[in-house]
Amino acid sequence: MASLINQIGAVTALNIRTVPQRAAMSIASVVAVALTITVLLFFLALSNGLSKTVTGSGSDDVAIVLRDGSVAELNSVVRKDQLNILATGSGVVQKDGVPVASGELLVIVDGIKRATGTEANMPFRGIGPEGLSLRKGIKITQGRMFTPGTNEIVVGAGLLREFAGFEFAKTINLRGSSWQVVGVFEAPGTVFDSELWADIAVTQSLFNRPNSFQTMRIQLNSASTMPAYKEWAKKDPRLQQLQVLSEREYYAAQASQSTRQFTFIAWGLGIMMAIGALAGALNTMYSSVAARSSEIATLRILGFSGYAAFFGTLVEALALSALGAIAGLLLAFVFFEGRTTSTLGSGFTQLVFKFQLSPAIVVSALVTALLIGLLGGLLPGIRAARQRPQLELAAQ
Amino acid sequence: MNDLVLMRKNLFRKPVRTVLLVVSIFMAFLIFSVMLSFNHAITNFNALPNRMVTLNKINFTESLPIAYYDRLRQMEGVKAATHMNWFGGYYQDPVKGFLPVFAVDPETYFAVYGEDLPVTPEVRDKFFSERTAMLAAKPVADKWKWRVGQRIPMNSNIFSQANGSHTWEFTLVGVFDTPQGSSQTGSVLIHFDYFNETITFGRDRIGWIPFLTTSATVNDKVAQAIDQRFMNSQDETSTQDEAAFNKSFAAQLGNIALVVTLVVGAAFGAILLIVGTTMALAVRERTREVGVLKTLGFSSGRVLAMVLGESLLLSIFGSGLGMLGAAGLLELVKNAMAGGGPPMSFAPIVLWWGIPIAIALGLVTGLAPALGAYRLKIVDALGRR
Amino acid sequence: MADLIRLTDVEKSYTRGKEKIVIFDRLTMHIEAGDFVAIMGPSGSGKTTLLNLVGGTDRADKGAIEFDSARIDNLSESKLTQWRAANVGFIFQFYNLMPVLTAAQNVELPLLLTKLSGAKRRENVATALKIVGLADRAKHRPREMSGGQQQRVAIARAIVADPKLLLCDEPTGDLDRTTADEILGTLQVLNRDLGKTIIMVTHDAEAAKFAKRVLHLDKGQFDERELAA
Repeated sequence: MASLINQIGAVTALNIRTVPQRAAMSIASVVAVALTITVLLFFLALSNGLSKTVTGSGSDDVAIVLRDGSVAELNSVVRKDQLNILATGSGVVQKDGVPVASGELLVIVDGIKRATGTEANMPFRGIGPEGLSLRKGIKITQGRMFTPGTNEIVVGAGLLREFAGFEFAKTINLRGSSWQVVGVFEAPGTVFDSELWADIAVTQSLFNRPNSFQTMRIQLNSASTMPAYKEWAKKDPRLQQLQVLSEREYYAAQASQSTRQFTFIAWGLGIMMAIGALAGALNTMYSSVAARSSEIATLRILGFSGYAAFFGTLVEALALSALGAIAGLLLAFVFFEGRTTSTLGSGFTQLVFKFQLSPAIVVSALVTALLIGLLGGLLPGIRAARQRPQLELAAQ
Repeated sequence: MNDLVLMRKNLFRKPVRTVLLVVSIFMAFLIFSVMLSFNHAITNFNALPNRMVTLNKINFTESLPIAYYDRLRQMEGVKAATHMNWFGGYYQDPVKGFLPVFAVDPETYFAVYGEDLPVTPEVRDKFFSERTAMLAAKPVADKWKWRVGQRIPMNSNIFSQANGSHTWEFTLVGVFDTPQGSSQTGSVLIHFDYFNETITFGRDRIGWIPFLTTSATVNDKVAQAIDQRFMNSQDETSTQDEAAFNKSFAAQLGNIALVVTLVVGAAFGAILLIVGTTMALAVRERTREVGVLKTLGFSSGRVLAMVLGESLLLSIFGSGLGMLGAAGLLELVKNAMAGGGPPMSFAPIVLWWGIPIAIALGLVTGLAPALGAYRLKIVDALGRR
Repeated sequence: MADLIRLTDVEKSYTRGKEKIVIFDRLTMHIEAGDFVAIMGPSGSGKTTLLNLVGGTDRADKGAIEFDSARIDNLSESKLTQWRAANVGFIFQFYNLMPVLTAAQNVELPLLLTKLSGAKRRENVATALKIVGLADRAKHRPREMSGGQQQRVAIARAIVADPKLLLCDEPTGDLDRTTADEILGTLQVLNRDLGKTIIMVTHDAEAAKFAKRVLHLDKGQFDERELAA
């Protein structure tokens, strides 16, 4: 066994030393793998970034109520009387005798996407007085929060980065009334970073939706009181046609919708490119084996086993694709990892997010590359192993 | 036998190697064709140059008063106008059964979109006269196995009727074909009046106003006049070319064109290197034979042409297979996606770009080896001094 | 008989690194039409270079090379190539057949340089293969044939365009005695019955016996007595 390892080591060393002779084809192979990995990582990072932003938006201890059967806020309806009932449920946090709850209405307004100069759907959310406290980790970084009952708006920092039209201190005209952006808030890594907030009552009257709510958010004592609250709401006959979820559950469902498509695209393209790269790798390895046929024949005559030739070839193929994977990863980090972009989210409004790789993604990409290397070295390795130790081959 | 036969035989000298190269080229062109077709599908609908659309300035999801429609169609430069409302429709399942259902004014809708609604006069008249009539794009009807004459229950995830129900019943009076680029792709059409009279909120409001101008040259003037007319009102308008609106909607998804370019660029970059280096190796292996050909009297130019011809043969063969494969793949996918998005079928633009790219690929990958063969001296090739 | 080939004051040298190696220093010699000459000599004597110069696959530095009383040393590259295609047939030690083509297709190659029709070309190929006795092997690939058979295909290829001159570089170097004799016999037939002038470079004294006369080349110089004979 030790002897076999020595043999493999010797053959591998020989192979790697002679790579410069076949430099061009080896480089082509490495580049093909690298580009495959980069494309795969691009869409997976996009999918992951989108997903993380959405799932990161939900709390365990905030309940969100929508109309039963609604898949997005835009389609939901919750009546005012239902809101009042919901606020009296068990486990609802009170602040100075007032339940911490927020009935909300989401409408869409146009912003200009900076990257393309075209109109895009901005989420304009009317929130109740407790709307801010319900959402954890929000910081006002410029100006202040809007005053309830006024035409004041606060804008998410993410939205501001990607879209024009809602800059701090700017006055906007909607339906003949002036609105002013009085503050910028940061909610990094969540959907809120891409939103505009205003007073719910003013929003309802502006958009001709008197007393109309789409959702309600309710602060519960803790995540453990969520199941009890849900049960309570299910039993109340006045709250039929409503579904109660934890905010986290709601956003998890939202996330899976959009990421499914991108993951499909990622692997669809990735596999197609991987097949092309595999064909290139096979070509390179077959040429490599052919070029070294006289050396291999010599070694075989000297007594090296066929396994050594096989593994030597396999190691070369794996080394090339590993190089490609590393190059692809580097390209990903240089060109898009961490970059901010936006797209149409599952709520039909723009969502600002970052390309984000994760350890799982990096591993799956590496595995893909190594698989290419493995398959690319397998058959050529067998051919190398089968090479007969004939003197005339060695003589060339 | 002739030069072409020799080229072909040399190309398949090592069949495994050639097959592998074909696979690489095939994959690159498959990706290219699919991505280009996708990009084409989401940005190209039959937008007539004189068809425009008026939306609420706040956002196209905000409604407009129906009175705007009456005022707009009488304005100068407007040849025909109609109105559309988003029904929020789904058939059976809210997610899987999602359908773009529009409540329209039948006669005027046909006046504006007639060329994309190929139905017989009988079907058309039936649609006009029956209040609960429905017209659907053929792929949608096929997917859900609807037959003409069938009563179809359609749900709305936005609106409800007075009795609290979200379901409306319609009679399918006909289906229409939606070839690539049709503005009515995946559409299901119902009567605005029936819809407007039975919803519990949002009455007498319309979604958007598509209209035809008397000529594309007056588009800007008409747009300005309309937006001016409704300025400073509760519902200000924004009027634009239909084509511009389609493009901006696609742009919401992201800079698709850029992504497509980068992915396709990556695929082509990879195969350029793979094929180029392999061709160089393949020709190098034949140094002696090139020497023999030149000894026999083949001119250097002829030898160069043969090497270039080889790489062109390879490239055209591989790319042809790739584009053909894409056409087949898209055909399969198209039926699965009916109603769920723009129809993706093989776009002719793929050929306009694909063939020149294939030729360029052949030339670039064959250039270095061809020049090498051209310059090769007989005495060096045959190793005899 | 008139001279087919005449070299006058031909000079040829090549540089290896910084060294200039002189192959021929004012070489003058001639070969008559219809002759079958064997050229022998140690390696480095210039035998192969001589074939290259006479066959137009290499150029002399100075001097005149005449073929059939017309100078070939001052022809342009393309004219020289055309001349070679029409007038010279080559036979190599390692046959140099195209492995991807059949015997018949290999033989047809020189005819692709002519304006003959497909039918006429195939006719000439059949004739050439018959002459070398390989009509039944027309559709075989080189790897399916023995060394001797491959060499005969090469000979057929060399004569299919009916050139006046055949240049052979160690034609039997890779063959066993019996097969070598067969090949040399075929060359004799081509010389005697078809009137082809043959120059054969060889280091095999037995092979040289098949020629009409033998010239010895050493350090770029021929034995003067042999030239005069």
